[in-house]
Amino acid sequence: MTGTSTTVVPKPRPPIEAAAPAGELPMVTQPALPFFEIETLRAEQFIPNAKEALGSMIAEQAQDKLIRPVFNWAGRNSLFPLHWGLACCAIEFAAAFGARWDAERFGVVPRSSPRQCDLLIVNGTVTWKVAHKLITLYEQMPEPKWVIAMGNCATGGGPFRTAYSVVPGVDKLVPVDVYIAGCPPRPEALLDGILLLERLIQERRE
Amino acid sequence: MEASARLFQRDLMGKLSKRFPTGFLGLDPFPGTFGRIRFDPAIALELFREIRDVHAFEHLAMVAGIDWVERREVLYTVWSDVHRGYLLLSAMLPAERPHIETATTVWPSANWHERETWELVDITFDHHPDLRNLLLPTGYQFHPLLRSFKLHEPEELEVKVRHV
Repeated sequence: MTGTSTTVVPKPRPPIEAAAPAGELPMVTQPALPFFEIETLRAEQFIPNAKEALGSMIAEQAQDKLIRPVFNWAGRNSLFPLHWGLACCAIEFAAAFGARWDAERFGVVPRSSPRQCDLLIVNGTVTWKVAHKLITLYEQMPEPKWVIAMGNCATGGGPFRTAYSVVPGVDKLVPVDVYIAGCPPRPEALLDGILLLERLIQERRE
Repeated sequence: MEASARLFQRDLMGKLSKRFPTGFLGLDPFPGTFGRIRFDPAIALELFREIRDVHAFEHLAMVAGIDWVERREVLYTVWSDVHRGYLLLSAMLPAERPHIETATTVWPSANWHERETWELVDITFDHHPDLRNLLLPTGYQFHPLLRSFKLHEPEELEVKVRHV
């Protein structure tokens, strides 16, 4: 038995003769494989597979149990919304980042470039004219990204739902995670929506 | 109205009726302004030049279009820093393919106003340098401020807007 090759196929052992003639020992053409060699062979086959399986299992577990929570924790505590105002909700949006409501205590800092953002707060009436620009901004944001529809107009068109130029709800253009009602919603409502989004991110799996 | 404004109005009416014996249709009083000049769209460009160069109304404040169903009105509001007042210029156009010469060559600020008037009430401005949609998405099929425009259900409109 060489035992060096990794793809060892155990040699077929000669069958033990069931009925040996009485008074005669059975003819042994090949010496029996010692036990430790069998174990070595098995281990040589088993260990790489086991290592691979264990490794991927541990990696998945680690991703779910260790890395994902860390990423979620970091992501939800540093949401960067796009500094983009559409209508009167933008005034409340601005007030939420002022001294009185101070959204920055939740790690929410508006950024001026969509490349640095992971949160799009649609604050105001979206017209069909501006719709493709909104989609462009959304597509420029890196993954993972979230969208908050702030106010009645962004949620469902609001009072302009039947108008000739208004998108009846921004969820016709981009996927929305949190809807905030109000016309316009107060800064407290915006902060509540952001905290709700943080809870959603905390439970995020994939 | 002040006496000086009334004098100015009468003076303007006399001069314009002498300058445009056929195209000038009259000057009506209009509150808050020197009055509203009614003119034939055929003399539009000459009248604009006359109003700006001779009578010193150098600023075009607004272009509006009105749909009177059987005809269509286009209304220019011009301001004079010399006379400190507004003047309205109004022309009636046929309802079928309403068109008038552009004022862009006289008052450059007419550009966007005329684009807006064109897309909302469907008045074509001839020789406009850049007549395309201003407030509505490119290729929008309707002229929504016309009285014949019907409100759509949001979903129906969305389909129509998305497929232009």
